[in-house]
Amino acid sequence: MRPTVPWLRPLVALVVGGVFFIPLYIALINVFKESRQVASGAMSLPIPPTFDNLIRVLTSPDSLFWSSLRTSVLVTSLSIIILTVLSAMLGHYLARQNTWWSRVIMVLLLCGLMIPPQVILIPITQVLKALGLMSTLQGLVLFNVGYYVPFGVFVFSGFMKGVPRELEEAAAIDGATRWQTFWKIVFPLLRPATASVLIFLGVWIWNDFLNPLIIYGPREGTTIMTGIYKSLGQYAADFGGMFALMFLATLPILVFYLLLQKQFVKGLTGGATKG
Amino acid sequence: MAAGTTIHHHKPGHAQAGVRWRRPGGKGAGLWHFLSFAAPGTLIYFCLVVLPITLSFGYSLTDQALLRPKTHFVGLRNYQLLLQDETFLQSLRVTTILTLIVVIVPNVLGVAIAVLLDRRGWLYNALRSVFFTPMVISSVVISVIWTRILADDGPINQGLRALGVSEPPGWLSDPDIALYSLSSIVCWQMLGFCVVVYLAGLQGVPQELAEAAAIDGAGPARRFWSVTWPLLAPALTINTVVLLISAFKIFDHVKVITNGGPGTGTTASVALVILQEGFVENRTGYASAEAVVMLIVIALLSVITLRVLQRREVQL
Repeated sequence: MRPTVPWLRPLVALVVGGVFFIPLYIALINVFKESRQVASGAMSLPIPPTFDNLIRVLTSPDSLFWSSLRTSVLVTSLSIIILTVLSAMLGHYLARQNTWWSRVIMVLLLCGLMIPPQVILIPITQVLKALGLMSTLQGLVLFNVGYYVPFGVFVFSGFMKGVPRELEEAAAIDGATRWQTFWKIVFPLLRPATASVLIFLGVWIWNDFLNPLIIYGPREGTTIMTGIYKSLGQYAADFGGMFALMFLATLPILVFYLLLQKQFVKGLTGGATKG
Repeated sequence: MAAGTTIHHHKPGHAQAGVRWRRPGGKGAGLWHFLSFAAPGTLIYFCLVVLPITLSFGYSLTDQALLRPKTHFVGLRNYQLLLQDETFLQSLRVTTILTLIVVIVPNVLGVAIAVLLDRRGWLYNALRSVFFTPMVISSVVISVIWTRILADDGPINQGLRALGVSEPPGWLSDPDIALYSLSSIVCWQMLGFCVVVYLAGLQGVPQELAEAAAIDGAGPARRFWSVTWPLLAPALTINTVVLLISAFKIFDHVKVITNGGPGTGTTASVALVILQEGFVENRTGYASAEAVVMLIVIALLSVITLRVLQRREVQL
C-alpha cells in the first residue's frame, strides 16, 4: 500500500506534536526569561537567556528548594527500595504458592490497586498517629510502601510466570536455601520487572502531592511538590522563579526515568539472548 | 512425593519431582517461608490499606468529629444526610462531567494520534516521547503551567486580544467555563498514556490482515473500522478503566488550579469535598461516609466498564 501523498503523514504528525508541545515549550522558555519578559511575549524565545531565575531559586534564603529536594530524595529512594524488596519477595511467594490463603492475599492486593488514597486517608492518619508516625518522614514512607505494594506484587508475580521453576529446583537440589535461591538466582532474572517497578513507583512517589500534603504536613517541611504548592503565593509575581523551581523539581525524576528506561530495555534484550 | 517440605503445592495430575529444601522441619519451614517472604509486605498492606478501609466503613456509621468529645453510632444517618447535601451532590455532578470528558476525549484523540504515529523512524520516535512527557511530570507542575497559560492575562488571551477579541473568556475565572478548562488540562496530561497504550495495541495487529482487507478492496477507513479497531479492543479497555479511575478521584489539579471555585463549588470534585470535610471541617465520620460512596461508585463503574468492554474483545 503506497501512500498517495508521502509527506502528508510526517507533516500532520509534526503539527499535532507541535501543538501538543506548546505548554511545555512555554514552561521551558520561561525558565530562562526575566520575569518582565515572561509577562509580555509568552511565546518568544529567551534571547539572551538568563540564568537569574535558576540562581535565585537555588540560593533563596529559605533554602526551600534544597530542603524539600532532600526530603523528596529520601522519601522516594527509601520507598522504592523497600517496595522493590518487599513486593519482589511477596510476588514470588504468591506466584509459587497455590494455597487458599495466598489466593486470598492476592485478591485483596488486586482490590487495593483500585482504591484511591482519598478514600482511606482519614483512617490512615489515625493509624499513623497511633504508631507515632504522623507528620514524619518514616510515616510517609510506610504509607507509600503499604499503598503501592499491590502494584509491585502485580508486576513481579506476573513476571514470575516467565521464570522457569526448574531453575529454583536445581538450586534447591544443589543445597541453596530459599533465601539464597531467590536473591542469587531469581531476583537477577527479574531485572526488567524491577526496572519497571522502580520507574513507575519512582515517578508516582516523586510527583505525589496529596499524600505528602496530608501525611507529612507542612510543619516538618515539604516534599518538592508540596513545596511548589506552598510557594505559589511567594512566587505569584515572579513567574520566572516559579518556572525555574518547577524545572528544577522535574529534572531529577526525568533523569532517573531516562536512565532506568535504558536499563529497562537492556534488561529485556539481555534476557532474550540467554538460552 | 518426598517427605518434608516441597517447594510447591501441586494440583493433582501435575506430577513434578518433589524437591527437598535444606531447611529441615515440615510445617515450620512453610511458616518460616511465609514469615520471611510474604509477611512483611502483607502486614504493612493490611495496616495501611485493609485496616483503614474497614475503619472507613466503621467511621461512616458514626458522628465522629474532632471537636465532639464522644463518638456515637448513628447507623445510616450520614448517608441519609448525604442525599440532601447540596455540596456533595454538586461535587458528584462536577466529577461526573469531568470524568465523561476525560474518558472520551483522550481515548478518541489517543487512537487517532497512535494511528498517525504508527510508523518507524526518528521523527515518530521523537513525537512519541513528546506525547509521553506529561506522564512523567507532576500534576502540580502541569497545573501551575496551565494556570499561567489560561490566566486572564496569559498567553492565550494575549493572543486572542492581538487577534482583536476585546473580551476573551476567563478560562479559569468564569464559573461556566472553568470546569471545561480544567477537564481539558487533565485530557492533555492523560493523552500520552492513551497514545502509548494504543501504539502497543497497534503492534499486535497483524499486517497481513490489513493487506488482505486492502486486496479485498477495503479503503483506509473501512480497514480501520473493520480490522484495526476491533483488534484494539483490549487497549480501549485498559485506557477507559484507567481514565475512569484517575478522573473520578481527581484532586491535585482541582486543588492547585481552582481550589473548587470560581463561585461555590463549580469545580469542586468529590475528592476535594471529602478532604475538605475530613481535614478542614474535621467531621471525619461524615467525610468517611462520602469516601465510602466514592469507593462504591468507582468500584461499580470499573466493574461494569470492564464487563462491557471485555465482552467485545475478540480473540485472534
